[in-house]
Amino acid sequence: MATVAFREVQKSFGATKVLHGISLDIAEGEFMVLVGPSGCGKSTLLRMLAGLEDIGAGQIAIDGRVVNDVDSKDRDIAMVFQSYALYPHMTVRDNMGFSLKLRKEKQGLIDERVATAAKILNLEPYLQRYPRELSGGQRQRVAMGRAIVRDPKVFLFDEPLSNLDAKLRVAMRAEIKALHQRLKTTTVYVTHDQIEAMTMADRIAVMHDGRIEQLGEPLELYDRPTTLFVAQFIGSPAMNVFDGIVKGGAVEALGARWPARGGSEGQKVKYGIRPEHLEPAASGIAAEVIVVEPMGAETELLVKIAETSLTVMTRGRSNAGPGERIFLAPQAVHAHLFDAASGQRITT
Amino acid sequence: MNKFVREAKLWLIAIPILLWTLLPIYHIFLFSISTKDSAFSGALWPAKPTLHNFVVVFRQEHFYLHHFWEQIWNSLWIAVAVGVLTLAVATCAAFAISRLKVRGGRIVMNAALFTYFIPAAFLAVPMYKAMGTYGLLNSRWSLVLAMVTLASPYAIWVLKQASDKLPWELDEAARIDGATPLQLFRLVYVPLMMPSLVAIGTYALILAWNEYLYAFLLLSHENTIPLAVGLGHFLASDDSPWELLMATALVYALPPAAIYYAFRRYMVGGLTAGAVKA
Repeated sequence: MATVAFREVQKSFGATKVLHGISLDIAEGEFMVLVGPSGCGKSTLLRMLAGLEDIGAGQIAIDGRVVNDVDSKDRDIAMVFQSYALYPHMTVRDNMGFSLKLRKEKQGLIDERVATAAKILNLEPYLQRYPRELSGGQRQRVAMGRAIVRDPKVFLFDEPLSNLDAKLRVAMRAEIKALHQRLKTTTVYVTHDQIEAMTMADRIAVMHDGRIEQLGEPLELYDRPTTLFVAQFIGSPAMNVFDGIVKGGAVEALGARWPARGGSEGQKVKYGIRPEHLEPAASGIAAEVIVVEPMGAETELLVKIAETSLTVMTRGRSNAGPGERIFLAPQAVHAHLFDAASGQRITT
Repeated sequence: MNKFVREAKLWLIAIPILLWTLLPIYHIFLFSISTKDSAFSGALWPAKPTLHNFVVVFRQEHFYLHHFWEQIWNSLWIAVAVGVLTLAVATCAAFAISRLKVRGGRIVMNAALFTYFIPAAFLAVPMYKAMGTYGLLNSRWSLVLAMVTLASPYAIWVLKQASDKLPWELDEAARIDGATPLQLFRLVYVPLMMPSLVAIGTYALILAWNEYLYAFLLLSHENTIPLAVGLGHFLASDDSPWELLMATALVYALPPAAIYYAFRRYMVGGLTAGAVKA
């Protein structure tokens, strides 16, 4: 277990600057998720931590030791790649034991470590097989096994679940989380999938255009996004956001008055409200139902107000049909106001 | 019906090509089982087929065949040496250019390929001069070195293209696992490149086995020449023993055919690996 610290880390590819001074402290045993859209620099940051990319400026420290000029192999990290990167010509056993073999560990120790890892990951029946004889999920587990046997200071995951189908992804998500709870190894996990981030992370760093937009615990990010970008990125279905103007303690938008707190009179704002906070009510803001998507436990409604589409999530079943008028009663406590120009949060 | 027409068209093309290719080989075979008198009879099958020619060849019972076993050994020695050396040079070069991304690697490769613009026959004289300077003339090494020079650019190019296709993550995974570049080369790169290596090794080996011009130039002693040059000596007299020449040629053609057959699985995939820039 170890801490990881990024201090004003920068990186450019040619003239393009991809990381603009990232500072981030990761605690011992923490599960940190770097999330953001493609091209936000999250993978680059991870690869710099792994020693696969040079560090342009700034410092990266593992357990207090600056590793800028330390080789990958001497950083005591293990990485799981999106493509698994298993050695095709080696059996599962050899794949997992490869790093120990390179370290010239005794065969007895290698066997023991591989056996332990295989047991944790339910890979015991497959140790003699080659990667091509395994399914996607099994390959992913071998890649994790290869990381585990080294007992590294830090685990790095680079979009490890992207190549799996939806069902397997959910299962592996739980497996990785359980693994972390068991081993308590500091973990840095990169993904573009905000659900993965929300479900697995101790803390999330939302990245955008080479900067950390917001850093915090999953629900903190969900409940109090500090920028419009985070508000729209975190949460599924995404937050409803539309333009409005603050007037008399509320926001005028889409031809209606939306309750909100904060903002100065006449300020142009973006009004954000999550779908589950737009439940139908007996009276309120009128909306026309366009599409009804029942999902059993809840129902998603696509509605239109003044030619703007909004998503509404109601618990249980809905008896509204397409073309019907319903009323929405948003509450001020659930509204998020962002400055229209800067995208910064206004609501207290 | 449509399938039948397409099949028929293919056969129409294939049969002439097959005949065209096999006719000279059949000719060799025909001569090699004919007696000296009947060799030029023009018949499609000799009146009295015989294996006597092969006995003469293997027992070295003719003036031109006194060094047969020695010369075939030379051929083998040279071909294997060329195959091994070319592989060593090209594998290391391809690894350095493609995987280690050595600065200037591409320029080196392109410069090497550029040498193919100069016909090998043009290079023969400078090569002869160079070997003379190093005192290698009439040593098997002179031919080995010359052939490695000729085979390497193509070998580097094919292997470089093939190694470009290996997933980059494997190198990164190995680096994180603690592999030095040499360990990466030995434990990951070479095993994964094996099909291409077999193909290129075979290519260089057969190139050297079949070489005549350079062998003729650089080696001149009966004891050092490969059999290809030895075969040429048959034509030195007015009354060449054609039936023996052809029997020897047939024997000479067998090893490459066997090697090609053994590795045919790798040859097609390996030699076209670099054909398309993926």
